Amino acid sequence: MDVETRAAPSHAPAPRRGAVRSPRDLLAGASLVVLSLLALASGSRLEGGTLRAMGPGMLPRAMAWAIGAGGLLLVVFSFLRRGPPLGRWPVRGPVFITLSVVAFALTIRSVGLVLAGPLVVLVSGAAASDVRPKELLVFALLMTAACVGLFRYVLGLPIPILTLPGFTL
Amino acid sequence: MGDLLQHLALGFSVAFTLQNLGLGFLGCLIGTLIGVLPGIGPIATITMLLPITFGIEPTGAIIMLAGIYYGAQYGGSTTAILVNIPGEVTAVVTTLDGHQMAKQGRAGAALGVAAIGSFFAGCVSTLIIAALAVPLTRLALLFGSAEYFALMVAGLAVAVVLARGSILKAILMILAGVFLSTVGTDLETGVERFTFGYAPLADGVDFAVLAMGIFGFAEVLRNLEAMEQREVVSTPIGRVWPTASDLRRSAAPILRGTLVGAVLGILPGNGAVLGPFASYALEKRLAKDPSRFGRGAIEGVAGPESANNAGAQTSFIPLLSLGIPPNAVMALMVGAMTIHGIVPGPLVMTRNPALFWGVIASMWIGNLMLLVINLPLVGAWVKLLAVPYRLMFPAILLFSSIGIYSVNNSAADVLMTAGLALVGWVLSKLDFETAPLLLGFVLGRLMEENLRRALSLARGDPATLLRRPISLGLLAVAAVVLVVAVLPSISRGREQVFAED
Amino acid sequence: MTRSIAALALAAAALAGPARAAYPDRPITMIVPFAAGGPTDVVARIVAEPMGRTLGQQIVVENVAGAGGTTGSTRAAQAAPDGYTIEMGHMGTHGAARAVYPDLKYDPVKDFAPIGLAAGTPIVIVARKDFPAQDLKSFVAYLKANSDKLNEAHAGVGSVSWTTCSYLNSLVGAKPTRVAYRGTGPALNDLVAGHVDYMCDQIVNLVPQIQAKTIKAYAVALPDRSPALPDVPTTKEAGLADFQVTAWNAIFAPKETPPEIVKKLSDALQKALADENTRKRLLDLGADLSNKAATTPDGLRKHVESEVSRWDKVLKGATAGAGAAPPK
Repeated sequence: MDVETRAAPSHAPAPRRGAVRSPRDLLAGASLVVLSLLALASGSRLEGGTLRAMGPGMLPRAMAWAIGAGGLLLVVFSFLRRGPPLGRWPVRGPVFITLSVVAFALTIRSVGLVLAGPLVVLVSGAAASDVRPKELLVFALLMTAACVGLFRYVLGLPIPILTLPGFTL
Repeated sequence: MGDLLQHLALGFSVAFTLQNLGLGFLGCLIGTLIGVLPGIGPIATITMLLPITFGIEPTGAIIMLAGIYYGAQYGGSTTAILVNIPGEVTAVVTTLDGHQMAKQGRAGAALGVAAIGSFFAGCVSTLIIAALAVPLTRLALLFGSAEYFALMVAGLAVAVVLARGSILKAILMILAGVFLSTVGTDLETGVERFTFGYAPLADGVDFAVLAMGIFGFAEVLRNLEAMEQREVVSTPIGRVWPTASDLRRSAAPILRGTLVGAVLGILPGNGAVLGPFASYALEKRLAKDPSRFGRGAIEGVAGPESANNAGAQTSFIPLLSLGIPPNAVMALMVGAMTIHGIVPGPLVMTRNPALFWGVIASMWIGNLMLLVINLPLVGAWVKLLAVPYRLMFPAILLFSSIGIYSVNNSAADVLMTAGLALVGWVLSKLDFETAPLLLGFVLGRLMEENLRRALSLARGDPATLLRRPISLGLLAVAAVVLVVAVLPSISRGREQVFAED
Repeated sequence: MTRSIAALALAAAALAGPARAAYPDRPITMIVPFAAGGPTDVVARIVAEPMGRTLGQQIVVENVAGAGGTTGSTRAAQAAPDGYTIEMGHMGTHGAARAVYPDLKYDPVKDFAPIGLAAGTPIVIVARKDFPAQDLKSFVAYLKANSDKLNEAHAGVGSVSWTTCSYLNSLVGAKPTRVAYRGTGPALNDLVAGHVDYMCDQIVNLVPQIQAKTIKAYAVALPDRSPALPDVPTTKEAGLADFQVTAWNAIFAPKETPPEIVKKLSDALQKALADENTRKRLLDLGADLSNKAATTPDGLRKHVESEVSRWDKVLKGATAGAGAAPPK
């Protein structure tokens, strides 16, 4: 993997037509502004308090303002400084990974590791472009067995292995 | 001096019994294991093993539990280097350069230097505890809320130095981390902040959840994407051991890291957390070519790793000399000692010298054991990296999910991790770095608490922060660090803007 | 033919009444709604061991910390009432919780089947070692006169230290600046360092410091002196007899737990409390075992009811002040 491109500073030159010189920074700055506004809105009922007794709202609000200001700055810079384009946002990876972890969360207590383990391995494994289904299935079962042994029997953690009605392992 | 030798002799005689040696080894082994496993940390493990220690006499029990604690520090660095998942807060910094080194085929060197540095730090810190426990505690008591606040601010300024790319974005991430740390129930008023009525958030976001989601899982997503673009992900298998030049370059950082970590670890209230960050910033400052940092500079592993182990050892000082636990793990130790009928306090040193010195001696032995356990494992870990990524990352997800679940027996935590993974992915797409966010998160809570307390105690007078010498000094350090970090990019940015016109 | 009918009948009987079959037939979970290592956790572990021996099955402590103990208590209240989940609640979760948390998701009286009081940890009034008062009377006088200049440490709204000092402050008529810490550890640390003035906390945490003279103890809120601190007077002796408060720890089961199971658990608790070894370990901590009446299910129920109404009254005044800024 190319280390350099991942850590590239945001002022790598790119051929640009139009006013926006760095679309990525524009999106970054704009999202931060939106988020800071949301934060201010949802925290509006928190008391700011005084200096003598700082209320629960003082620091969050200060942070939200600062983030909003920084976001605006980023937006301004995106018109002034050249930066990378938005880039590709392939969703296959994120979707599968997130789904797999969600699947784990939903099944671990209701069914147990016996199902949750293979689920997370299978669903996330599907995200790989070079996935080999049979290999993945065997791997899933083996890994789950190994985890049961490790977490439940070696470490003694109360991870639900198998939950059937009226009986928990 | 003679006294010290006598005490140490007593300690070693206690620690060298077969039972205590065995318990220490068991603790270190378990500690390494849970340190390596993402999510699970020493707190959950010590809690679980508490009942088992009932049958063992107190000194042995404490030796084992202590072994778990600092063993976890060694193990946490392993996952940080191999898969970019910090097992502990203190391992976040190790991911920066350690994981880069792994990607360049130098995982063995990183792991080796981490182990050696940690061992050195452990030995030195144990000596410090033995010789200076009492005077150091008195020093620590000088730190009130104002001083802690200033320390946290300095820590946040240091976090800016961690940035590899845009300073502005790093600062924004730090602020975002501080903001995230306010989610939960407010300590002073009991009011819920930004929880939207969702019960699992009532105690705030768990560090493990945040680290795993935004940091660890997002890394998996990044790798997957690189794979899709047909870039080669498999790491070149380089040399397994650190080279002579690696060791030479690590020597001074290890020394400096040990000192920094040891000093910060003494401060109750989790000062140990700052050690690795401060060490990293120091090394980056002192390096002839700071741009190497963040791309696999071994000094960026050697210093912080020594700092985090030194801090882990010296954080026992407030516990052993005052009886006041400086963090959650030490609070567990207090509980363990209490259950065994020894209530820790200032008099433990005189009333229970065998316990006190036995534990200290066992720490040194424990560090040796950990070196012996970890060094041979380096080869095994490096071979593990050869597993094809399409199998590696589902395994990582499986272990991480179980690990996160086990922290609070909460499926909700696992759900949150999934959500945060998406957030982390978006952040990296927008060129935001997440290490500063994590640091902001850790320090934010401490910073707010201490600021409120300091102001409350000073009846609202902010000048109190400047009137007290320690806090003034720390704030000055923070200011200097910030200015030095930000200045170059301002002038660079200005040049760029003008150059393009 | 008869044999198969008999076998079927046996099987039916076995399946039909699982609760009536030998209880317990697997380990029991005791939820401790606080982090491991704290006073309630220690008491729970000390008591769980002999109880488990009597019942023939291990009692496993599960720490479910959060929200001042209410997360664990909510989980316990909603657990299946089959006797396999019980809780070690305390004065905060089952006495003061209703007054402190307006959105409390359980009723400490109605949602639980009380088993019995395990042990109480007495409260001690302590101050930094150079506080300008030598005994409780002068402390109270100083407090009344100078309360706005004084700083009281506590471990967060809803904690034992906060609740009990709310009571003290209201009795004395003091309005100090209340400073929150994340747990008694840091609070105690600042007290030892002299950054704050006084605190009300459970004896367990304080004994070593008092003995080492790093902090001053004015009185113990008990009717009789505590053997762990024989030199510290009781509040009655020292002139503030009304300040009687103990952080009691008691075992509860979910509300519909069958009476036979409640009885088994209660008997196991009684036996544990009568055991010399257990008593010694508890007393070594400074725990108070004097309230024998509340160690039975009915006694505990009455105790909880009286505590709930007491704290409702006391904290009506205090909670209003806790969320707002301190008086100027």
